[in-house]
Amino acid sequence: MTPVIALAIKDLRHLLRDRGAAFFALGFPLLVALFFGFIFGGDTSQRARLAVRVVNLDQGPAGAALVDAMGRDGSIELSASDDPTEAADAVRLGKAVAVVTIPRDFSAASDAIFVGVARSIEMVVDPSRRSEAGLLEGKLNQLAFRQLSERFADPAWMRTAIANAKQAAATARDISPPQAIGMSLMFDAIQRAIDAGFNPAAGDGEAWTPIRISVSSLDTPRTGPRSGYEVSFIQGIIWGLMGCVTAFGSSMASERSRGTLARLTVAPITRAQVLAGKSLACFIACLAVQAILVAFGMAAFGISVERPLMLVTACLAAGVGFTGLMMFMAGLSRTEGGGGGLGRALVLILAMIGGGTVPLFVMPRILLAASRVSPFSWATTCLEGALWRGYSAPEMLLPAAILVSFGVVGFAIGVSALRWTE
Amino acid sequence: MLTLRNLRKKFGDLIAVDGLSLRIEPGEVFGLLGPNGAGKSTTIGMSVGMIRPDAGDVTLEGFGDPMNPPVRRAIGVAPQSLAIYEDLTARENMVFFGRLQSMRGRTLRRRVDLTLEMVGLSSRQFDRVATFSGGMKRRLNLAAAMIHEPPLLLLDEPTAGVDPQSRNSILELVRSLAAQGVTILYTTHYMEEAAKLCSRVAVVDHGRLLAIGTVPDLVRTHGGTTVITVDRGDRSERIETSDPVRDVATIMADPTRGISGLRIDRPDLESVFLNLTGRSLRD
Repeated sequence: MTPVIALAIKDLRHLLRDRGAAFFALGFPLLVALFFGFIFGGDTSQRARLAVRVVNLDQGPAGAALVDAMGRDGSIELSASDDPTEAADAVRLGKAVAVVTIPRDFSAASDAIFVGVARSIEMVVDPSRRSEAGLLEGKLNQLAFRQLSERFADPAWMRTAIANAKQAAATARDISPPQAIGMSLMFDAIQRAIDAGFNPAAGDGEAWTPIRISVSSLDTPRTGPRSGYEVSFIQGIIWGLMGCVTAFGSSMASERSRGTLARLTVAPITRAQVLAGKSLACFIACLAVQAILVAFGMAAFGISVERPLMLVTACLAAGVGFTGLMMFMAGLSRTEGGGGGLGRALVLILAMIGGGTVPLFVMPRILLAASRVSPFSWATTCLEGALWRGYSAPEMLLPAAILVSFGVVGFAIGVSALRWTE
Repeated sequence: MLTLRNLRKKFGDLIAVDGLSLRIEPGEVFGLLGPNGAGKSTTIGMSVGMIRPDAGDVTLEGFGDPMNPPVRRAIGVAPQSLAIYEDLTARENMVFFGRLQSMRGRTLRRRVDLTLEMVGLSSRQFDRVATFSGGMKRRLNLAAAMIHEPPLLLLDEPTAGVDPQSRNSILELVRSLAAQGVTILYTTHYMEEAAKLCSRVAVVDHGRLLAIGTVPDLVRTHGGTTVITVDRGDRSERIETSDPVRDVATIMADPTRGISGLRIDRPDLESVFLNLTGRSLRD
């Protein structure tokens, strides 16, 4: 066992001392994780909110109440602005989906709810984000309706509004006397009902609403990452595994070109021991890269592991799978350039289509199907399953077994293709 | 110590070794000489179990066939190309090669210290090999071959490309090892080196053994005659002789001939080598 461990330690030392290889095994993956995590917006609950600028020109309570309601709504990330031009610029620059302007007469129009023109607000939207603007329009309608319901529940406000409406109906010139009488009788009836304790908004039942939609979060099992970092750190791990495969994949070619392979083959050890030492080093490096990135993600970005035992399984399966891929690449690599370059290119492509660039869960179906030829894709599935998909052991079994199979086949092909002498 | 019997090895259409037989006695420094492509490296490869012969056999007396890994514990090899890790320190290299020999603990540490001392690298043991000169790397390459105190050492051009100081140090070390009873198979292109070090020499070419014996025997049988060159003013005379002492005495005894210079070229290992392998260039 001593020679195998000595070989593994020696190869790990090489990896750590080769700054380029160490960077691509650990530094670059970390940068990928941070970069894409930042791009994805970190916390997905923040990402899901609509960024809106509000310009409140109204000095009355209704405008303030609407701003307050928008601010408290979980789906809106509200920023108040006094300057309509600055707010419009924010939309133009993509910092906000829309500018909502509350006009000066908003409170006055809200008080004269039964007479005059309807109260209004203005919304300027980013044309490239119309679907989000549509969501915002619906949200504003919902908030306005809720505000109206609250007003209806206030008897004092209703009495004042009815009195104003009766006064307006009596003096209006554009309605006939019978219509004015009819309206007066209707307002009196409402007034009597309110005086008798009828609450049109609450009462025994609930305020009227055109449709009631029940919305709840799907917490168990989770179907999506809690934050962008739970996606990007998996991407980082994919790049880290690629770094390990390329670093160790060319090590046999390096031994050959250095002449040290000759010394290894004349040492009193079997070729199987040489391969075991190389494989052990790659396996340890793969595990270390995964452990370091997950630990960093947990400590710095709040990544939580849904199923720790499944994570261990995923990491071990990935370690076996990519050690086999490393040996496959080592078999291809006659020289440090040449076949090594071909192997590196192949591994790079497999990593890219396997979730290293585009996360699997946002891939189009056809690309996702194509990605299944890549062991990186199965590693991504395993890691997603452990980190945020909440895979059970039976669910983890298939991707982990496929990953191990990739390793076994790659190892067998690589070993048979290896050349031990010049 | 090491017996090669009727070894044959082909690489495609190229016959690298063609029925080579040798026996290296315990404790001797045996020189294996030949031009480039003569089959020396293949012979060494088969001698250490790195290359499997197509025919014939290799026996390390008292141990067995070097194709069997445990037998290789009795062999130390310093390949022609430097087989050391430049990213590691000298000490890390030695520890690694010692562990490949299943050495460990205090024994390994003591042996690493001693071997580094023997090749004069103790003071640089914690420096990375990448910072070493060519001579230091050669010495470390040699040290890695003897970390486990093998009874048989195969040194493939151990002084190639080193400065005179390192070369001298390596030659002294080889003499010292030979004095301790280590059997050494030595290949080199420096005939003077082989003549000084080797108790017996074999000359091979095209995979075949051309001659084998002590250096004086080879010089006597394959070296040709001594050549006396006599300069007389603007012309020189070349005299081949089997008795140079008598002929020089005769030449010097005649004062009327106006001798301005005299050179005696005695046959040596280089003339043996060239006589046996020819003077055409080898690539």
